Amino acid sequence: MSEAQTKSKIHVDKVNKSYGENHVLRDISLDINQNEVVVMIGPSGSGKSTFLRMLNQLEKPDNGTIIVDGFDISEKATDINKVRENIGMVFQNFNLFNNYTVLENIMLAPVELGKMDKAAAEKKARELLDTVGLVDKADVSVNSLSGGQKQRVAIARALAMEPDVMLFDEPTSALDPEMVGDVLEVMKNLADSGMTMIIVTHEMGFAKQVADRVVFFESGKIQESGSPEQVFNQPKNERLQEFLSKVMHA
Amino acid sequence: MFKKYLLGLASITLFFTFISTVNAAEPNYTITTDATYAPFTFQDKHSNYVGIEQETMKAIAKREGFTYTMKPMSFNSAAQLVSNGQADGIIAGMSITPERKEVYDFSTPYYKTGVAWIVKKDSKIKSLKELKGQTVALKTGTAASEYGKSLQSKYGFKVKYFNDTDTMYNDVVVGNSVATFEDMPVIQYAIKNGMALKVMNAANPGNAGWYGFAVEKGKNKALLQSFNRGFAAIKKDGTYNKIVTKYLGATQSTFSGSKKDNGSILGILRSNQSALLKGLWQTIELTFIAILLASIWGILLGVLGVSEYKWLRAVSTTIIYVFRGLPLMVLAFFIYIGLPGVTGVKIPAFTAGIITLILNEGAYTAAFVRGGFEAVDRGQMEAARSLGLPYNTAMRKVIMPQGLRIMVPSFINQFIITLKDTSILSAIGLLELTQTGTLIVARNSQGFRVWAIIAIIYLVIITLLTWLSNWIEKKLK
Ligand SMILES: Nc1ncnc2c1ncn2[C@@H]1O[C@H](COP(=O)(O)OP(=O)(O)OP(=O)(O)O)[C@@H](O)[C@H]1O
Ligand SMILES: [Mg+2]
Repeated sequence: MSEAQTKSKIHVDKVNKSYGENHVLRDISLDINQNEVVVMIGPSGSGKSTFLRMLNQLEKPDNGTIIVDGFDISEKATDINKVRENIGMVFQNFNLFNNYTVLENIMLAPVELGKMDKAAAEKKARELLDTVGLVDKADVSVNSLSGGQKQRVAIARALAMEPDVMLFDEPTSALDPEMVGDVLEVMKNLADSGMTMIIVTHEMGFAKQVADRVVFFESGKIQESGSPEQVFNQPKNERLQEFLSKVMHA
Repeated sequence: MFKKYLLGLASITLFFTFISTVNAAEPNYTITTDATYAPFTFQDKHSNYVGIEQETMKAIAKREGFTYTMKPMSFNSAAQLVSNGQADGIIAGMSITPERKEVYDFSTPYYKTGVAWIVKKDSKIKSLKELKGQTVALKTGTAASEYGKSLQSKYGFKVKYFNDTDTMYNDVVVGNSVATFEDMPVIQYAIKNGMALKVMNAANPGNAGWYGFAVEKGKNKALLQSFNRGFAAIKKDGTYNKIVTKYLGATQSTFSGSKKDNGSILGILRSNQSALLKGLWQTIELTFIAILLASIWGILLGVLGVSEYKWLRAVSTTIIYVFRGLPLMVLAFFIYIGLPGVTGVKIPAFTAGIITLILNEGAYTAAFVRGGFEAVDRGQMEAARSLGLPYNTAMRKVIMPQGLRIMVPSFINQFIITLKDTSILSAIGLLELTQTGTLIVARNSQGFRVWAIIAIIYLVIITLLTWLSNWIEKKLK
């Protein structure tokens, strides 16, 4: 293994993915380091979600290599469930389990996977609810929560497995504007605590604030990547310039 | 959850083993008959099987020292069960014909008969020629219907088939068909008992022939010999003549109950109380066992249908496809009459009925169970898997509880369909509610009143079943 591979938390090398004729990811390579916060931006349909979902095998690449925490998840022999325990994911539509209460949502995975006993899982769940500011909602049904509350529970649920990587796919896109702030704040605290995070978002202000690196996707390719300063203030790629002028003036 | 399935399977197996052991313990002959065939075989007002054939059989058995179990069902099933070795003999107004001799060995003939052609009492039809273009009612599989069919091209009438005598008569009485063909003594008895029909050829019956008792060709020689010996004896000492006179001379009230009993719904209810209750109980028993086992089987199949593995899903899809595609009656005949002919293992009608319902209702259940699981938002599965939960755990803990909730109305619907479908099993002779109705009508000819009673009973059970289901649904929420 090369130097870069051994050091980086996530190593992606020449990954391709097509849906039929639609070539969605083209030769993508990317390395993400421990504690790094990477924000991915780009127009709709450019392949951001597909890329993110590939990192925990919700989608399978057609070819190329993906190594997470030293596990080659494109290998058949790798136990993907074990790898997933270490990668939390937060979805645009929350995807809270409708048949459980808030607390049960958070406790389910740690208990089922034998990571904690019930008492420990509950203690952990209440702590997490405290961090996301929802301690008083522990025993309500998830259907009674607002969007912003749902998303914060979803983050707590992912954190209950004590992952060392968190993936976010447009976590605030389905929220009413006044809810966005609460969720972003939770994410910012998480970033400050040193979590390795990969975030797809259209919140450019937030990206500037928390990102160590911003990656611009377009037509299934990484067209440009760099510090927020570089990407937002001195974009070199023409399509990035075009994209930024659209979203900034929207 | 998986343990529960195993338990379910084990209890099904136990249940069938139990039933087949009971069956194997019977030491006597199994004789089939068609109980809608007065005066030869029918059910009297006390729900006993009576008639010339029944009393003849009883007298012969007594004299020859054997015992038997009489199984009433449609003529066709009765005949097939003997020809494939599931039953030992048939006594059901069976004419001795050269074709049948290929399949059965016949006893000495016990009754001379011929085919009558019959029209409505006030019909203006005078000759067979006038049947041109009209519809004629025939009963499937009988010699009389063969005869009728043989005249079809000559006289140019259309044919409509029925499974039992009484429905066929009534079709002519109400005018749906203009004529029918039936064995002479049978129609004469029916007319005498108030059926509004008339015989057109009393003087010269068509295809004059004989009724015989039959066993499968080359089998049951001892039974056939006993019958012949016994029949010769009761003919000689006058017993047989007495039996024939008793039935041909009988008036309606002797066997079918008085005018008072048959003239009102209440009267029919009162005089057939025990038969109706028995039929009702059998229907309820069939329904509940079938609902329980078909649900278990259906859920199991439905779960296979959303398995992680393609080949398991294919197995499930195939089973669902096959058993949803087969009409229930075809499946029932296949299991009850078809399979034992090949495997040699006799299956009691009740067991065959239950298996039929499990396979058919189970397939429908599986289809909506699979659909229910698939209807759960994909994001639920993705979220569960992203946490590291294996596919099966995610199914069990997240998808299934939500899917089952979606399915509750479908389950209730399927329960009601199952209840209604039990009536189709009357075709293999199960004495459930519908078959009970058929037998009562065959005796008292009160089609409207009897079927109204049966219909109301079904509606009442369906209502109760719906209430029960809704109550359970509420409990689940
Ligand atoms: N399961 C699928 N089957 C077929 N095509 C798909 C599937 N998932 C995504 N695609 C296609 O792949 C392309 C990339 O989709 P993707 O969701 O990765 O884009 P995105 O960058 O996340 O866009 P958005 O900002 O709208 O979420 C799109 O053209 C989309 O239609
Ligand atoms: Mg997307």
